[in-house]
Amino acid sequence: MRSPDVAPARRVSLLPLLAKEVVELLSGRALWTMLLILCPLVGFSFFQAVALYGEASAAARDQPQLASSLSPLDGILVPTFGAFYVAVTLLFPFVAIRALGREKETGTLKLLVQLPYRIPTLIASKLTAIIVAWLIAAISVAAALVFWRLFGGHLNLLETSNLLFGHLLYGLLIGAIALFAAAISDNSATAAIVTLVFTIGSWVLDFLLAGQSGALGWISRLSLTQALRTFEQGLLSAALVLGMCSAITGFATLAAIWLHPGTSLHKKLARTILCVGLAGVLLAVATQLRASSDVSEDKRNSFPTADQRALAGLNKSLIVTVHLAPEDPRYVDLQRNVLSKLERVVPNATIRLVTIGQSVIGSAGEVSYGEIEYSYGGHSARSRSTSHREALPLIYGLAGVPVPTPQAGEDYPGYPLVADGWIALPWFFVALPLLIAVAWWRWNCHAPRIPAQFVKNGDQL
Amino acid sequence: MMSDAQTLPLAEQAAAAPLKVVGITKWYSEQRALADVSFDIRRGEILGLIGPNGSGKTTLLETVAGLLPVDAGSVLWQRSLLPQHRRREVVFYLPDGVRPWDGRHVIGVLEFFASAFGRRAAELDEVTRSVGLEEVLGKHVFALSKGYARRLMLALALLTPHPVLLMDEPFDGFDIRQTREIMTLMRRIAAQGRTFTLAIHQLIDAERVCDRFILLADGRVCGIGSLDDLRTRTGQTTASLEDVFLALT
Repeated sequence: MRSPDVAPARRVSLLPLLAKEVVELLSGRALWTMLLILCPLVGFSFFQAVALYGEASAAARDQPQLASSLSPLDGILVPTFGAFYVAVTLLFPFVAIRALGREKETGTLKLLVQLPYRIPTLIASKLTAIIVAWLIAAISVAAALVFWRLFGGHLNLLETSNLLFGHLLYGLLIGAIALFAAAISDNSATAAIVTLVFTIGSWVLDFLLAGQSGALGWISRLSLTQALRTFEQGLLSAALVLGMCSAITGFATLAAIWLHPGTSLHKKLARTILCVGLAGVLLAVATQLRASSDVSEDKRNSFPTADQRALAGLNKSLIVTVHLAPEDPRYVDLQRNVLSKLERVVPNATIRLVTIGQSVIGSAGEVSYGEIEYSYGGHSARSRSTSHREALPLIYGLAGVPVPTPQAGEDYPGYPLVADGWIALPWFFVALPLLIAVAWWRWNCHAPRIPAQFVKNGDQL
Repeated sequence: MMSDAQTLPLAEQAAAAPLKVVGITKWYSEQRALADVSFDIRRGEILGLIGPNGSGKTTLLETVAGLLPVDAGSVLWQRSLLPQHRRREVVFYLPDGVRPWDGRHVIGVLEFFASAFGRRAAELDEVTRSVGLEEVLGKHVFALSKGYARRLMLALALLTPHPVLLMDEPFDGFDIRQTREIMTLMRRIAAQGRTFTLAIHQLIDAERVCDRFILLADGRVCGIGSLDDLRTRTGQTTASLEDVFLALT
């Protein structure tokens, strides 16, 4: 038996560690239970979405102009992924916590931290296993997409991939929070409570603070649920991706800081403060990024192509001063139809909301309330319209740019489809759960491969 | 009697006693668990950490392994300071009462450890046979008897390349015959230069297997040395370890 003088420093393979982490997640009940619950959840959401989409599509047969409003992104993908989102929010933490919680509970953590891997490597491998678990959990959603295609439904690769990417980032964020919770908790139950404080706390933030202005509005934007909305609108935003990646890295780093039992509390606290500070800086940098890509097939986040081109050529500062309270529905319209699109396309656009801190009731009496002032190159113009059809000609006038001619053939055609969603129900309620149950049973009962020298006459020694 | 440390040159001291624990003190809130504990661990010896329950044996092993922060004290390896985050390069600690990755098969856990530490298949086979795990390789870890679970832990320790192994209650769960088998195995491995430090509360077991002893009571070292050294200190030339322990604590 080899017994060298010191443990030699050498490159160790990550493969055994990764394999161990994945096997650990598959050996627990949490992932399999989540898979079983996901089947009817996603299946029923998909069935309902197909039914509603079918009803709207039937109306579009009589009135063809309605067809252009029928987008599979809004009608099928978002509702189907909505069920997946609920499961990831409420159930996935239990899967992710197992990646570390079980080792803490059984004392195996003391062996784990003595393995020839650095602590960040251990956490990274657990996060990788969590990604694998998320991919397995996404089987039911993938099945729904396959059914939609089999029904003859349309899927745009870019917007579907963007939505999947958003959900993957969200799943990773939940996983990283769960790992952090497991690292600071003595047992899995406490870790689950800590994680749910973040996830359900986000819902509470949404309910209580959505539409608020000022600091409350800023706090409401920290909600985890807000993160998915941009992806659901078919927008790939660099700010959001960097922000989510920073949060994932931040929580994973915190998990690494709190994992080792040999590190003193004051060192852990000092490193935590540093980590939170760095993550805060990264998040602040992320909010300053304006790069984004409209990957929606109907280009809902952009003006028509000719306008996009003309607006992108404005090289002076465009200042839009809005005299509307943030909770005013007109402001919501203006934000969606004009402001967010202007911010994306005009190189130097500044939006000023002069009623921050005021309410609709308190401000409505002012003469200027409801006005939107556009200033460009020393000229300004006012309007009360929340439509781009009125706002853009004003801006072109200020800039001395001719109103561009709309390009023909760029209208979104829409993809109406009447399909019988019930055909998918037996798959989601019977076949897929059955397959998962069989896979679970086989996983639990499979005999390991015993080296030949320990097997005699077909039996283990 | 002069100790080795007083008679040997420094380099030889480092080779003979490569690991030194110096003045370790550990508090749990208001309770002191270890008080200025110092000792050295010599190459190829089996060192027994003896003390009643609550005397600080586990705490001492975990602090030496770097798995618990200390309030004072340090660990030296070959006369150089061994910081907490580098202890795992030298020392491997085997905790008591752990069933590692209990949802997996025994062979899976062994293969994972062997591949993590870069052991070859032949070495894994040798370790498996030496601790007598052949019959349970296909079992889940949670289904193992206490004795086999202990053998599995021992196998994991033997798969590591560390020169110093710290083990908490390594014979707990073994019957007399199994205890003797494992003691023989440890002796064989120690003879090859590897060092064992065993926290044991069964004094009869300790007397059988250990070369030297650290007597620990209420977190304080009450005596260090071979049984003969300790007998000399107490003036009881034929006393058992139990008698010596009672006399010194």
